Amino acid sequence: MTPRTFTLTTLSLATAALMAACGSLPMPNGALDQARSRYDTAKNDPQVATLAPDELKRAGDSLRVAEQTWGSGGKPSEVDHLAYLASQRVTIAQDTAASKAAQAVTAGAGAERDRMRLALRTREADRAQAALAQSQQANAQKSSELAAADSQLAARSSEIDAAQAALNRSQQLNAQKTAELAAADAAAQNDKARIERRDARLGDLETQLKDLNAKKTERGMVVTLGDVLFDTGKAQLTADSTGNLGKLAAFFQRNPQRSASIEGYTDSIGSASANLDLSNRRAGAVKTALVGLGVPAERLSTQAHGEEMPAASNDTVAGRQMNRRVEIVFAPQADDVLTK
Amino acid sequence: MNASTPGARRALATTSALAAAVLFALAGCASSPPMPTAQMAVAEAAVQHANTSGTSDNAAGELQVAVGKLASARDAMSAKDYGRARQLAEQVEVDAQAAELHAQAARSRKAAQETQDAARVLQEEINRKTVR
Repeated sequence: MTPRTFTLTTLSLATAALMAACGSLPMPNGALDQARSRYDTAKNDPQVATLAPDELKRAGDSLRVAEQTWGSGGKPSEVDHLAYLASQRVTIAQDTAASKAAQAVTAGAGAERDRMRLALRTREADRAQAALAQSQQANAQKSSELAAADSQLAARSSEIDAAQAALNRSQQLNAQKTAELAAADAAAQNDKARIERRDARLGDLETQLKDLNAKKTERGMVVTLGDVLFDTGKAQLTADSTGNLGKLAAFFQRNPQRSASIEGYTDSIGSASANLDLSNRRAGAVKTALVGLGVPAERLSTQAHGEEMPAASNDTVAGRQMNRRVEIVFAPQADDVLTK
Repeated sequence: MNASTPGARRALATTSALAAAVLFALAGCASSPPMPTAQMAVAEAAVQHANTSGTSDNAAGELQVAVGKLASARDAMSAKDYGRARQLAEQVEVDAQAAELHAQAARSRKAAQETQDAARVLQEEINRKTVR
């Protein structure tokens, strides 16, 4: 027997004796067994041992007190009580460990989430960078296309300007030509109108003179007033002559630019000088009558031919009658058309 | 100590052990234990500390046990059953702590679950974006 075992034996014997004195023996305690079992489980759980070492130690201390009390024959109710305390401390240690483990998971998951977010942001940034580079490239291409289009546009513009200038010039020319044409047209119109007017006048003249039995001769239009105007040997106009003289006066009024020569003739009866005088007076009588009808005197001249230039033979009555006459000669004018 | 004989040392140890045992036994057999005033105060404080909405949400049963035992401890004090009052007060302390930590563990587990769910959702989103 070693001294140590001796001491222990002595102590336990003494304790047992004292317990017996209190009237109770240490009996197997279910609560204590259960507390011990739970403590062992927790102690072998690496999570509890690592994350709640202080709480586990406190549970162990508590369990030891319970076992000592039981071993020294403490009251069963006290042992139960101490075992309960130990068991609860095991629970506390386990919950503490579970809580810390969960918190570690939370922190880890948070960190993992941050890491994933960072990766995502990085990837997004990379993608945006790539898109930017691509769009810059596209922009550069568009820019050069735009520049090319610009220069094309400028070329087209100058072409258009040139064409415009040419067009303007040709339009100006056209306008000029048109004006010239219009002027020519106007001139032509003018000419045409003048010709028409002249034709009308000519037509008019001819019609008017036709009424007076005018004849076209080398000297011009000649209107012959027969001897019915005058009595034989007289220069007095008969009443019958007024109709013919009225027509003549009207003709002069319608043709204010016309002048005429009034020429008197006689037959061969009587002396030549007497006949010349007679023819002169007859011409003067016609002029006086025409002036009296409103024809300006300056447009009328008189000429006496006597028995000269007979219109017919003086051997017959009819011939002599034709020779007693006054002729109104309208000198041909520049614009008279003598083709007819 | 070199002068003393092995026999003398053994006698001293034996005497000491016996004295301690006797003292311990006497205390255990004492019929009237002292008032556990300090322990009662500790129990009251522990329940007060644990009695939060967080604890009542996640460890309602455990908290109820602590509260009920505190009432019993007060009753025992009133009945001058100080031994019982001390035991109950001591239990109230660990029960309150256990309730508190149990609730905290539940909350932590929930938070961990939510975080993991969020991470999984994010991962799925990333996968979808990657595929796209």
